[in-house]
Amino acid sequence: MDNEINPIRFEVIKNALIQATEEMAITLRRSAYSTNVKTRQDFSCAFFDNKLRCISQAFTQPIHLGSFVKHVPEIIIKYDPENINQGDMILSNDPYGGGVHLNDITLISPVYHSKILLGYVACLAHHVDVGGGAPASVGSFQEIFQEGVIIPRVKIVENGKIVNDIFNLLLAQIRSKHETSGDLRAQIGSNLTGSKRIVEIVQKYGLNEFFKYIDEIIEYTDRRTKKEVMKLPKGNYFAEGFIDNDGFTDKKVNLKINIKIDDNGVFFNTDGSDLQRRAPVNSTYAQTFSACAYALRTLMDRDLPVNDGFYRYVNVHAPEGTVTNCKHPSPVVGGWETHVRLNDLIYLALSRSFPDIVCAGTKSMQCHSGFGGINFQTGEYYCFLETLAGGYGARYNSDGPDAVQAHGQNTENAPIEETEINYPVQITRYELVPNSEGPGKFRGGLGLRRDYMFTGETTFTILADRDKEGPHGLFGGEKGSLSIYTLQRYNQKTRINLSSKITLQLEFGDTISYMTSGGGGYGNPFKRNPQKVLEDYLQGKISYERARDKYGVEIDINKKKINHIKTKILRKNI
Amino acid sequence: MKQNKNKSDTKFRIGVDIGGTFTDATLVNSKTGEIFTSKVISTPSDPSVGFINALKKLLDDKHIDPDKLDYVFHATTVATNAIIEGKTASTAFVTTKGFRDMLEIARQIRPSLYDLQFEKPPPLIPRQLCFEVEERVNAKGEIIKILDDKSINKVINSLAKTNIDAVAICLLHSYRNPKHEKQLGRAIKSKLPNLTISISSEVVSEFREYLRASTTVINSSISPIVNTYIKSIKRKLIDNKVNAELFVMQSSGGVYSAEAAVKSPVHMVESGPAAGAVASAVFGGILGYPNLISFDMGGTTAKVTLIRDSKPSITKDYSVGSSAKTGAGAFGGSSGYPIRTPVIDLVEIGAGGGSIAWIDSGGALRVGPESSGADPGPVCYGLGGKFPTITDANLILGRLDPNYFANGEIKLNFKEAEDSIYKYCAKPLGISTERAAYGIIEIANNAMVNALRIVSIQRGHDPREFVLVGFGGAGPAHVASLAEQVGIPKVLIPNSPGTASALGLLVTDVRMDLSKTLIIRSDQIELSVIKNELKSLENQGKSLYSSIASNIRDLIFEYSVDMRYWGQSFELNISAPETSKIDTNWLNELLESFHKTHEISYGFRVDNDPIEIVNLRLTTIRKISQPKIKKLLKQKTDPSYALKGVRAVYFGSNNEKDQTPVYNRKKLSSKTIINGPAIIEEPDSTTIIPPKWNANVDDFGNLILENLY
Repeated sequence: MDNEINPIRFEVIKNALIQATEEMAITLRRSAYSTNVKTRQDFSCAFFDNKLRCISQAFTQPIHLGSFVKHVPEIIIKYDPENINQGDMILSNDPYGGGVHLNDITLISPVYHSKILLGYVACLAHHVDVGGGAPASVGSFQEIFQEGVIIPRVKIVENGKIVNDIFNLLLAQIRSKHETSGDLRAQIGSNLTGSKRIVEIVQKYGLNEFFKYIDEIIEYTDRRTKKEVMKLPKGNYFAEGFIDNDGFTDKKVNLKINIKIDDNGVFFNTDGSDLQRRAPVNSTYAQTFSACAYALRTLMDRDLPVNDGFYRYVNVHAPEGTVTNCKHPSPVVGGWETHVRLNDLIYLALSRSFPDIVCAGTKSMQCHSGFGGINFQTGEYYCFLETLAGGYGARYNSDGPDAVQAHGQNTENAPIEETEINYPVQITRYELVPNSEGPGKFRGGLGLRRDYMFTGETTFTILADRDKEGPHGLFGGEKGSLSIYTLQRYNQKTRINLSSKITLQLEFGDTISYMTSGGGGYGNPFKRNPQKVLEDYLQGKISYERARDKYGVEIDINKKKINHIKTKILRKNI
Repeated sequence: MKQNKNKSDTKFRIGVDIGGTFTDATLVNSKTGEIFTSKVISTPSDPSVGFINALKKLLDDKHIDPDKLDYVFHATTVATNAIIEGKTASTAFVTTKGFRDMLEIARQIRPSLYDLQFEKPPPLIPRQLCFEVEERVNAKGEIIKILDDKSINKVINSLAKTNIDAVAICLLHSYRNPKHEKQLGRAIKSKLPNLTISISSEVVSEFREYLRASTTVINSSISPIVNTYIKSIKRKLIDNKVNAELFVMQSSGGVYSAEAAVKSPVHMVESGPAAGAVASAVFGGILGYPNLISFDMGGTTAKVTLIRDSKPSITKDYSVGSSAKTGAGAFGGSSGYPIRTPVIDLVEIGAGGGSIAWIDSGGALRVGPESSGADPGPVCYGLGGKFPTITDANLILGRLDPNYFANGEIKLNFKEAEDSIYKYCAKPLGISTERAAYGIIEIANNAMVNALRIVSIQRGHDPREFVLVGFGGAGPAHVASLAEQVGIPKVLIPNSPGTASALGLLVTDVRMDLSKTLIIRSDQIELSVIKNELKSLENQGKSLYSSIASNIRDLIFEYSVDMRYWGQSFELNISAPETSKIDTNWLNELLESFHKTHEISYGFRVDNDPIEIVNLRLTTIRKISQPKIKKLLKQKTDPSYALKGVRAVYFGSNNEKDQTPVYNRKKLSSKTIINGPAIIEEPDSTTIIPPKWNANVDDFGNLILENLY
């Protein structure tokens, strides 16, 4: 066999494999029914070789970066590859079988060429509803059994045909039958597309070449990752923080992260984090692994491929029975809240040695907004889910952008018109929240506000965080604002403050409002360029008082200019 | 406005393509297919001057009476330059109360996933110029809050206090009920008549507010600029006694009337690059190469498009001003500003003849993206350029003839170019001037190779299965080296490559795209609604051509329907069955066609689920008779008859210049074979045949370069 690697062919095959997974993503997105999948792109697709190594991945959501690659091999091994034949597809969402929360359902298909197993294509989609105690399946419960249908590992497609008994059994547990059946079919279509593309690559280059270049893709990534890891500044880094409450009690959920970088690599350790709760904030090992994988990836070269050659450098120790590696039967739906908070803490820990790479605190919550009920026109049960952006943390040389998703999460907003066409709701505001930024030499981004007014009955769930402590500042920068969740009943003047984790019944005319956190600041705000303070004021992003009190900049409101003399006096005492 | 039938019936049509550095014109004799070209320096401060210079030069040189011209086609970068350089008209945005930050929040996502230092593109309109009006239409199109005079006057007062030229209006659900938008538009127009106003339901009547708003804002902010520009072109045409119909190239590869361009300038954002891609597709088609990569390198940028089955790929998910999307691996990010109009899918990079070479803070030699453009241009033009460019490097290496650039009309100053490369590159790097010049070319070629990879390898296409078409003034000097680096064995260089894009203008049809959002479920459909909407589209389509009413029967109307399963968000575009009779059979045929297409695209169909009819679309095409392309008469194999001379050229192989034969392309006959290394010169471009390549002249005079490995 010819062992020589042709660099052009290497590039072509490497990219064709990524392209295959991206086409899976396109198929899934374009044919899915739920807003969460089709518009917000809450899904992931990947190809694994016959040794169960992740070879290529389409990245819509980095959150699935590490979790998905842990889950897929485990499903295949537990089901037993011997029992998975050409034309079969395996479905699973089991958090205690290597997975994450129940909403994330994974579908796996073996890929064969002339009876030889090439590997597996897999796609994961966040389903808008999987049953359980509240519409959109994002409510606060005390056991996994209340969170929805658990799919251990089942053959949903056998020999090319959907197994209707299983399909129907699943649908019977689920509220949004129309969306869910649409999304499941889209997942099947996605895997068919992926399989076809992988086989085409083999048809073109032959089996030997295919496997030879797959090995080289892994080796190449390994070589580059190793080099990058060795360049990182050695040391021990630590940070701790908390989630506001667990959804049942007001008790904070404490999280700790230790990062050791030495000659042997990078080691993440969550020892000392709180024990798991009978509440939704527990993260599975796969979710914690994914937070660490994302953090490590952001320290590497930007064009480094992500596959098994990278993942083998992510070392995570998360003690079993804690909120970072929970045991059965803990509920897990809010595990992603813990995951994303860990990300912020990792960057806080690393800020000492990586001041020009990390950002200050971000909203670091998923910030779910889920609702559902019976559509009085069609009589069908509908469910809707989205997650809202917040302010991004400031960086060493730039402000944190306003209203963006953070870390593992990069889901789009649901277009207002699309939402209103499909659900009995009117979005009455969608805007930036002035004065929500964490002040700093570079300021944090502004949070955003979204108000939902219902035109029919609905059950609404907030599964979010950050209403007790705003995102952290760095090097003298201040915290971003707290998140605020309120309810205004129809025809009432007063707004009631709500907890960050709550499910409630709404009637016609009731309005729920989210105001998400601003990002943390970076550096002393009194050192901020006064021109930038003026610009923020002129754009209506901060008030006159805030410019004066937080930044020491006196603005002449009539002239729309900086009063330099007064500013000098204000800033004298720093 | 039309032909004068009393005179001789020989008619001419002309295409004028304005690039960053040169303005090219191509004239064709509609009867004989004879083609003439001209090239003049672009005039960025007022591009219409370059336009008329190029046109006049051709008419004067060929002694053609201006009223023998029946069509003038035009491709221009005036719109895209305004956006990229931030020189758009000062524009305000007006929307429904509660949504002032729509443009700034955009899609709430980050443009790159792993870079914590990312920046969001700045909002198209700064927050202080975004205004709200009290009004609301719901998803069914019902007005639930009336837009009253008080609210209208309030926003007009706010607008009056600003210093703006244009207003973009996008109110929620206006694609369904445009009443408030139109009312507001009229009111602003009457109080502030100098403002250019764009209304979202007229620019692109499709749902999803951010995409519609972004498209509308871009339309509005370039509108005053395009308007002034088109007026100026028209005036100059009249001043020069040209009485022809003026058409402008759209981003989609079809042309539209100047009037339509002024109204919907957002359709011409990628006008220039589209002309080049169309030209490539047409040349390739004639020569039997349906799969091509089009490489168009001018003075400022290089543009690359993949063409399969003679069709440039077209996208509707286009963003203006986004950094080159890297195909595979780029999923999930977003940058730039979306426009929901059809655009030829291309990758553009800042590497052109005028790209400036410089040394970065780390001491590395870099090329671009800064360009000397047309004014002052490369150092060797002697027009005041100080910094060395790719063209200067090509000159130093002997690849260009200082006395035969642009047909000898621009004398290149070798000494100044040499001094500049020495001063700014060679000396700081401590290497010879020639070595530095060669380094500039290598670096520029690398960037262009990346662009080729993005459209091919990164999208899973093996470039070796494509023919690379090299054109634009600077393209033929670089294209063979690029092909070698990505392993493409065959390169096509059309005649007059420096003006090939302008020729692309002459072989395209008039095309106008119209659409209307309906959103009706197939199980709740009323055929009369469809019938009426189709009729209304047809009338709109016809009215677009009202100035040439007599030709309406020459129009081709192609109806299509965007459809999806109820619940999906992405539509498939399905050609509508014959529309003369809209009945149940028509509907069933349409629905079945959707099911089938869905199965082919995504691997499944769902016969029981309702289908949603989202948009009706009408593409109107007015066929323009295509000019014939003339064949070469003579055939000769040995190229010696076309030899101009011999020149020392640096190919980098042995660190010195090799004596290299130089041929005159205009003298070449078909079947001639030229072995590399060689140079082939023609008035508007220079082709380099590197060692181990040869060039064959085909029947039409195109050069087919082949790698002899």
